[in-house]
Amino acid sequence: MLIEIRNLTKQFRKGDETITPLHDVTLDIDRGEFVSLMGPSGTGKSTLLNQIAGIDRPDSGTVTVAGTEITRLSRSRLARWRAEHVGYIFQTHNLIPVLTAYENVELPLLLLPFDRAERRRRVQIALEAVDLVDRADHYPRQLSGGQEQRVGIARAIVADPTVVVADEPTGDLDPATSEQILDLLQRLNRELGTTLLMVTHDAQAAAIANRQLRLDNGQILEIEHSLESVSSQTERH
Amino acid sequence: MLKFLPYILKTLWRHRARTLLTFSGAAVSLFVFCFVVALQEGLDRLTSQSDSTLVVFQANKFCPATSHLQQDYDQVISKLSGVREVVPIQVFTNNCRASLDVVVFYGVPPKKLRSVRDFELTAGSWAEFETNQDAGVVGQAVARRRKLKPGDRFSIGEVTVTVAGIFASQNKAEENYIYTHLEFLQRTPGLNLVGTVTQHEVVLDPSADPSHVAAQIDERFRGGPIQTDTRTKGTFQAASLADLVDLIGLTHYLGYACLGLMAVLILTTNFMSVQDRIREHAVLQTMGFSGELVFSLIMIESVLLSFAGGATGILTAVTVLANAGIAVSAEAVSLALTPSISLAVIGLLLSIAIGVLAGMLPALTAARTEIVPALRAA
Ligand SMILES: Nc1ncnc2c1ncn2[C@@H]1O[C@H](COP(=O)(O)OP(=O)(O)O)[C@@H](O)[C@H]1O
Ligand SMILES: [Mg+2]
Repeated sequence: MLIEIRNLTKQFRKGDETITPLHDVTLDIDRGEFVSLMGPSGTGKSTLLNQIAGIDRPDSGTVTVAGTEITRLSRSRLARWRAEHVGYIFQTHNLIPVLTAYENVELPLLLLPFDRAERRRRVQIALEAVDLVDRADHYPRQLSGGQEQRVGIARAIVADPTVVVADEPTGDLDPATSEQILDLLQRLNRELGTTLLMVTHDAQAAAIANRQLRLDNGQILEIEHSLESVSSQTERH
Repeated sequence: MLKFLPYILKTLWRHRARTLLTFSGAAVSLFVFCFVVALQEGLDRLTSQSDSTLVVFQANKFCPATSHLQQDYDQVISKLSGVREVVPIQVFTNNCRASLDVVVFYGVPPKKLRSVRDFELTAGSWAEFETNQDAGVVGQAVARRRKLKPGDRFSIGEVTVTVAGIFASQNKAEENYIYTHLEFLQRTPGLNLVGTVTQHEVVLDPSADPSHVAAQIDERFRGGPIQTDTRTKGTFQAASLADLVDLIGLTHYLGYACLGLMAVLILTTNFMSVQDRIREHAVLQTMGFSGELVFSLIMIESVLLSFAGGATGILTAVTVLANAGIAVSAEAVSLALTPSISLAVIGLLLSIAIGVLAGMLPALTAARTEIVPALRAA
């Protein structure tokens, strides 16, 4: 298994009240899977995603990604681990406003031991994948919402991470643009074999994944697991 | 770190109004600070100077206009052991009090001038000076202020001299004086000064004990018609500038206050910049930027700002100090404000230190920010 989540519990205290968005969650995600995570607002979808992305810590339980138990890493080693292994697609305000599309996509590569030429090559490939080569020198404010999100996706995949997580990536977009973005994510999964975990509260969006999960009352429910799609992924590798 | 420079510079550029204001504040602070230090350095130069030179003045007199010694005291003084040379000097000034544009004439025996001063003429000739009764050599700072060149005639009150040369000296304070013939000043119409001088300058052998010789001189004239007060040149000049010394001590605090202000200004800018970018820093950290890296980026931003601003202020101050020939004078002693290497270096180091100091807290705040709450807040 690529991602192994074991007995994960996360609580928040709000005054006297304690909420438990994740209660003893156990979940496996395989390499190459495209998993969608659904559920009403405020159930803890982002919280779970953030545990996998290594930007938050559980109260108990473990997350192991590609053999590394990330819940045990120190703050600075975890940052290093994120640079190498995670691509994160945000809902909005994804990009650094002072940097061009090109520079935004290059940013994660600056943390890794790539020289200038190698960085250029990779940024080029990532921008091609999202079909934005001609917008490389544009600043975020010069891009449409959909284009901005595509730059965000290019940035998430540029370092060839172990897992890409997306937190409501279409939450702020109109239906037509949403569809484009979902198509793009699906293509990344099919053509590049990217392991994808996408949070959404839109059932239609969730349906494009080959595995659909639902989070409710701190528990994970398996809605649909299209084995065919998974095995086709396995064949490809 | 160089890879991140475009990000840092573009961030500064994005808020260029704020950046420019902070930059200007830093520049002005260092500019003022440089003047304060130059003042202090000028004073230190005057008061620490020439332990082996004594100045004999009339006892209990302060302004050169009121000190009158017998000129022939020089005969007596030069016979004392340890004395190498005695130069009788008549001083004439247009203003005894502390002021910025004082003109001071020093009348000396023309043949002796070159042996007791290190002057180099940058224009004119020594022969012209030595052969003409009314000739004067003018320090280049005065020449610059008053726009004088050889051949010009120059008057203060009843004294009119012809400029024979412009001189430069290692001792920048000297460049604020005009040297004339002793006899010429003594014969100034209206002043009956023939036979008397303002002071005697006594050059000692290096082996002589200055305070011992000074005591001997004052002892020698105790019973005479005019009593003397003899001090080393440094002490004499410090006493002449006494009123200014306190003031300069005060400006020192103002100089440091300026730096404090600059630190607060940069601190404020840094905090604003960090507050503006809480989400941006959370995004960077999500991407894998470590807290240490975020810390460094903000520190570099802060130091760049304070260093660039400070360096500009220092450069401006050094240029002005080098070219304007600014001097403060009192009782015919001039304190020259000049630039120095130490001034520039101290200024630059302080700029960097202020950048570091003012960057620390905002950078730490940004580096310690919890990622998830920062992302949720925006
Ligand atoms: N840092 C936090 N502090 C306090 N409460 C939080 C924090 N993060 C999330 N929560 C709470 O946990 C619950 C789940 O949040 P979240 O994972 O963002 O939900 P979802 O993404 O499913 O909308 C919500 O009730 C939210 O208010
Ligand atoms: Mg959420």
